[in-house]
Amino acid sequence: MNRTLALVLGAIIVIAAALLPLWIGPFYTRVAQLFFFSAGMAIAWNILGGFSGYWSFGHTVFIGMGAFSAAHIVHRLGPLGDGPLSMIVPILLAGLICGLFAAILAYPILRLRGIYFAIAMLGVSQVVGELVNNVSWFQGGIGVFLQTPVPSGTTPEDFFYYIFGGLLLLCFLISIAVRNSRFGYALLSIREDEDTAMMLGVATERYKIMAFVLSATLVGIMGSVYGYSVGYFTTYTVFRLDFSLNLIVFCLIGGIGTLFGPIIGTAVMLFITQVLLSRFLDIHLLITGAMVVAIILLMPGGIIGALRSRKRQANQVEPVEAEARA
Amino acid sequence: MTEVILSGRGVTKSFRGLTAIENVDFEIPAGAIFGLIGPNGAGKSTLFNLITGYYPLTGGEIRFKGEDTSGLPTYRRNQAGIARAFQISKPFPALTVRENVRVGAMFGRPGGSQPKNVVNEALAIAGLEELADRTAEGLTVGSLRKLEIARAYATRPSLLLADEPCAGLNPIETEEMVNCLRKVRERGTTVWLVEHDMKAVTSVCDRILVIDAGQKIAEGTPQEIVADPKVISAYLGEPLEEQAS
Repeated sequence: MNRTLALVLGAIIVIAAALLPLWIGPFYTRVAQLFFFSAGMAIAWNILGGFSGYWSFGHTVFIGMGAFSAAHIVHRLGPLGDGPLSMIVPILLAGLICGLFAAILAYPILRLRGIYFAIAMLGVSQVVGELVNNVSWFQGGIGVFLQTPVPSGTTPEDFFYYIFGGLLLLCFLISIAVRNSRFGYALLSIREDEDTAMMLGVATERYKIMAFVLSATLVGIMGSVYGYSVGYFTTYTVFRLDFSLNLIVFCLIGGIGTLFGPIIGTAVMLFITQVLLSRFLDIHLLITGAMVVAIILLMPGGIIGALRSRKRQANQVEPVEAEARA
Repeated sequence: MTEVILSGRGVTKSFRGLTAIENVDFEIPAGAIFGLIGPNGAGKSTLFNLITGYYPLTGGEIRFKGEDTSGLPTYRRNQAGIARAFQISKPFPALTVRENVRVGAMFGRPGGSQPKNVVNEALAIAGLEELADRTAEGLTVGSLRKLEIARAYATRPSLLLADEPCAGLNPIETEEMVNCLRKVRERGTTVWLVEHDMKAVTSVCDRILVIDAGQKIAEGTPQEIVADPKVISAYLGEPLEEQAS
């Protein structure tokens, strides 16, 4: 796809998305809002897990930490600004706190490779969740309020629809910038073979930490906005294993390590679970689980991977023949 | 005396008491194609791993362009100008050939020409232009070996450590590889080559270092090496009569 076409298409999609709440009802606005939130986080997870190959099984720690940070900042410092603008400082600080936490965590944890890193992150999310729940200063057990300064004339659905939409766009643009930069190539080489990457002059430790901090910051920001959007939450609202796992499933379904994979995967899974299966709530998880297994078995590269290999089959001669000619 | 690019003094490495490299000295003259041979398990790959910093030294020192390398992490040594092509090809399988080489060009030694030009030059030297846009996953052994060299060359090294680039190649591919190494040297990069194919080694190398069981047993020109009785016995064993006596 050439660049101009991509830009035009992108602009059309953004404008269409901006006008959408005018003619879909509050229910679908909420579904769309959930989609933006989830896809944004899947993209943030993908920067670390998809590009550098470090799968985190505990990214919910940054959702929870972001949400609780914002709530405590508002409670302890009082409102910072008027109306919707009062959200800016708590949200940015929440992102900063998550980024700092990731930077500290990176030193011991990013030395672990593969499944050990994944499990260590799972452990970290459980530990932090328990601390927030049981140390009374955090008020995770009884819950915290985070008032939503919705401007007059808009509904909360529309308001958060636009905020999450903007954040999704931001995450997507960051992801594109990363993928096409030196930083992105460093991450890909780390995913493919970390020792070889080092041998080629890639400062692997530094780039892994950068990816981890970037991913954590973005998820922290979205976590804090999520906190605002629910208004009141306890530990169990935001430190949730299913959040962590869903992000991975969304990326897997769409195509891990690709730019569009996380978005497509999230759209497909949310359409299935929130729209198609909304009438079968009792067997909803059963069907979701079965579909995940089926998709993984039939399309190991996710939807993007399946499309690519089909395109490749159509366009290219057999690899062996091409090598023989070359 | 020509300039020495890499030198080792008393280089020693032991793994939990097992000595893999013992007190090896070497001096690699700049601009040479230097050979390193020895039977399987002699410690050739270990020596390369010490030079690239993959393992720390147990004893001795390695100097690159006169500077002590100890304490430099692997990526810094590459940025200083030491590159390595692996014996067992380690491509980035999901990336295309061009992207593989681009990683070397983007990182590696700072300065020099644009990464894009370096990539094209490296692909040309290795003869990989036609395969540039294919993923590394489906390449044949011969192409993977070329990719190892191209990717290492793209880091703009002044010293290329080539670990058995001809192993498992057919005679034509071996010939191509030897030519490729010559081109690398012509462009100013010193090559240190580990190889079992004696024909390839003797035809391309200016000097050869021989190690056996972690120790240096000989060094000299290819003619001297093939005539050296210690080298012959290390490779072929003692003549039967001598063993019996």
